[in-house]
Amino acid sequence: MRYYETLYIINPDLPEDGYREVVTKFTDLVEKNKGVVTKVDEWGIKTLAYAVKKFKRGSYVLLQYCGEPGITAELKRELSLDDRLLKYQTIKLSDNADPEALKAEGDEGKEEVEETAETAEETSAENEGENGI
Amino acid sequence: MAYNRTYNRSGDSNRNKGKFKKTYHRRKVCKFCADTSLNIDYKDIKIIRYFTTERGKITPSRISGNCAKHQRMLAIAINRARNIALLPFTTSIIK
Repeated sequence: MRYYETLYIINPDLPEDGYREVVTKFTDLVEKNKGVVTKVDEWGIKTLAYAVKKFKRGSYVLLQYCGEPGITAELKRELSLDDRLLKYQTIKLSDNADPEALKAEGDEGKEEVEETAETAEETSAENEGENGI
Repeated sequence: MAYNRTYNRSGDSNRNKGKFKKTYHRRKVCKFCADTSLNIDYKDIKIIRYFTTERGKITPSRISGNCAKHQRMLAIAINRARNIALLPFTTSIIK
């Protein structure tokens, strides 16, 4: 399987519900096309280096996933049709990637959190703080 | 003949200029070769922006001191960052 990464910019004026809808739409789309999502990173609203569709700001979302070569074509069609997006870019990270290994990396992190259940509240509070920044 | 003379004169002056520069020549090292923990990534704007001019142009390797391999990787990263509006193509549009 190939390892891809798509970075897309969503309209900053969208309400929370609309924003969530867009993010879940594309993660679901990857899974529909037999892909495996390894990471979804929301950068939040940032100022753009130049105006895109007359917008000076935009909320960035990074989506990393594994899949067969056809998956990018499917995703590209949806990305280009969606009016709520300002821009998108897909990049191939590697030709031969093991999605299970990449997923395991993420799961290990989760397990560690579960193991330290006693301090879970503290860690979650810290995480929230980080997200806030 | 007159032209030749002028040509020679300018040639001499160029040679002298070269010598003058050589005395101030400092050996540059590629930053990415020196520090292997530095990864060239189009998402990491802080590192990439260091290698662009105020106008948003890519600094030539003869000034930045990068090796050819890393300069190539940098150029790709900068173009990717420009495409997704992380870096400007030119400045003075927003300000």
